[in-house]
Amino acid sequence: MKYIMTLIFSLTFAANALAAPAPEMTAGAYDAKGTLVNVEANGLVCDFCARAIEKVFMKRDEVSGVAVNLSDHLIQISLKDGQAMSDEQITKLITDSGYNVAGIERQTAENAAE
Amino acid sequence: MKHTSKFNAAVAMAALCGLLLLPMMAHARPVSYPGGITVMAQKNDEVTSTHVHYSPTAKYSIGHRFEKHREDNFQLQAAQLNYLVNRWNKPDSQANLYFKTGLGGAYNDNGPGSNLAAFAGIAADWETRKYFVSYENRYLEAGKIASSFEQRARVGIAPYVAEYGSIHTWLMLEAKYNEKDEDPFTLTPLVRFFKGPALLEAGVSSSGSALLNFIYRY
Repeated sequence: MKYIMTLIFSLTFAANALAAPAPEMTAGAYDAKGTLVNVEANGLVCDFCARAIEKVFMKRDEVSGVAVNLSDHLIQISLKDGQAMSDEQITKLITDSGYNVAGIERQTAENAAE
Repeated sequence: MKHTSKFNAAVAMAALCGLLLLPMMAHARPVSYPGGITVMAQKNDEVTSTHVHYSPTAKYSIGHRFEKHREDNFQLQAAQLNYLVNRWNKPDSQANLYFKTGLGGAYNDNGPGSNLAAFAGIAADWETRKYFVSYENRYLEAGKIASSFEQRARVGIAPYVAEYGSIHTWLMLEAKYNEKDEDPFTLTPLVRFFKGPALLEAGVSSSGSALLNFIYRY
């Protein structure tokens, strides 16, 4: 019975991992142990915009990687394990770069596995 | 230290562009992200120019402009300030209004020598990932050497929408009016290729002159 439960847990964990593949960063690398911040932003229309966001966030010690998706108006910020940035800090960096934030949500290693 | 190295790289790129006689820039956002350096080179029917600027914030940039006016046979060297008056960010579009001004000197080897030069103008653009519209003007006053008012407008369409990091292609049409030019009104169909930090444009104007633009953003 214990063996079956262990097997079920392992399969469930593996299925979750397959269902939520690590996001591909356009700069830096994804830190699976850290928090992933998804930011919906306005004004991202070209590669210069995407580069600006990457450059600004990759200067931060807390940031492991950044992904910009122009089609989805989405900026994904992978924070290093144990590091944090507040919504206010993220909003200020994006606003200071010349863009607007429409929404922020966070995905930690724990809630990603749920 | 990081900025010093970026600045040196930008100066090297500017020198290379100058050697290639690719002048700098119009129709690209004249302000970058905080700490960004942009190198631009442009060659059109009348002018070969370079513009290198540094943006302390996303609201303004400061830089150097060089222009070689081949028909009027003078050169312009100026410090330039570009100021973002306003930006309108929407989910699928961005619009900008800029004020640009510069102060420096104009030099004519074959004529009246040199003169203080100043210029000012506005630039506006609206773009989505599929459509592009822009307008800009500039009044240049260099006393006995030159005095002109130039206007440019562009429309563009992307035949396909590319993702970040892929090659973006734009088909554009530029209209230019400057009553002091030999051909005051010209139309230039051109193609723009854009990938990551680099942008290249090439076209041929209605007067038969080649247009080449190059931009690199560090």
